[in-house]
Amino acid sequence: MLTNASLMELVRAERRDEAIVQLLPAYRRKVFGLAYSLLRDREAAEDVTQEVFIKLWRALPAFDGRASMSTWIYTIARNASLSALRARRPQSSLSDAEVMDAVESSNPLPSADVLVERAAILRLVDQLPTKQRQVIMLFYMQEQSHEEVAATLAMPVGTVKTLLHRARARLSASAGKMSATA
Amino acid sequence: MSTPDSELDKHLAALFGGLDTRADFDVRLMARLRAESQTDATERGKRARQQELTRHRRAVLELQSRRRLTLRMLALDALGMSLPLMVAVIAAWSRFGGDVMDISRQYGPYIAMFLAALIAAVPLLGMWREQTRSPIRLF
Repeated sequence: MLTNASLMELVRAERRDEAIVQLLPAYRRKVFGLAYSLLRDREAAEDVTQEVFIKLWRALPAFDGRASMSTWIYTIARNASLSALRARRPQSSLSDAEVMDAVESSNPLPSADVLVERAAILRLVDQLPTKQRQVIMLFYMQEQSHEEVAATLAMPVGTVKTLLHRARARLSASAGKMSATA
Repeated sequence: MSTPDSELDKHLAALFGGLDTRADFDVRLMARLRAESQTDATERGKRARQQELTRHRRAVLELQSRRRLTLRMLALDALGMSLPLMVAVIAAWSRFGGDVMDISRQYGPYIAMFLAALIAAVPLLGMWREQTRSPIRLF
């Protein structure tokens, strides 16, 4: 794991590319997850992730090591995601094609019933309030701890736990309602 | 559809657990960074050249201003020196012998003209020297 000191050492030696190569394995999925949880569009999230790492590369000389590197990266990622969200047209919910793409790519060869069930759950997740959706996605996407999700979203751990609990309760209830009407 | 918590967990993990960027993400990013790096180097070069140009221009302007000031001082100096010289000549006039008086009477206007031309020539020479100086080249 790259420390602040070794990162600054690389920057001083004009080896920023190398610094990014070392940061990528630790932060690529987290940044992508953060962007995806806000944008709900894989392409857009991937573009934002690229932008975030390019911004990081540009900003590295200004990094003084006083703040935590992860906090710094997540701040850039959140701002970039929010800017991208503001720039694109408002998306009310995922389209059928997007849901099916996401579900089919989630796990190869699930049964038809499982596919349908997952598509329904993805729709429910999509309809959650933004913060709850973000917490759910990040928590399950990277099997992160509450602390990590809290750090990524710049929230207190207690808030993350509450949001996760509410989101899961809401999903369970909605799924229950759906199965009752089916 | 029955979805107990463990089932829900399983579905959510399956939905989001595998989410990742495309396989060529790192390669594309590094290509963009290389391009960015080249642009960055060019930009830095341009900025450095611009800064150097500005610094040089400022130095040249300062130098020109100093030269003008020196010329002005020189002209005032010449004028200032000519006044006591005139006073000294007038004061010493009566002490000169008859021969000198005759010579001065004969050549007085020429001497005065020569002195005036000499005094006036100082700033003119300075200006001429300034104008014939080869211009300072920036590069």
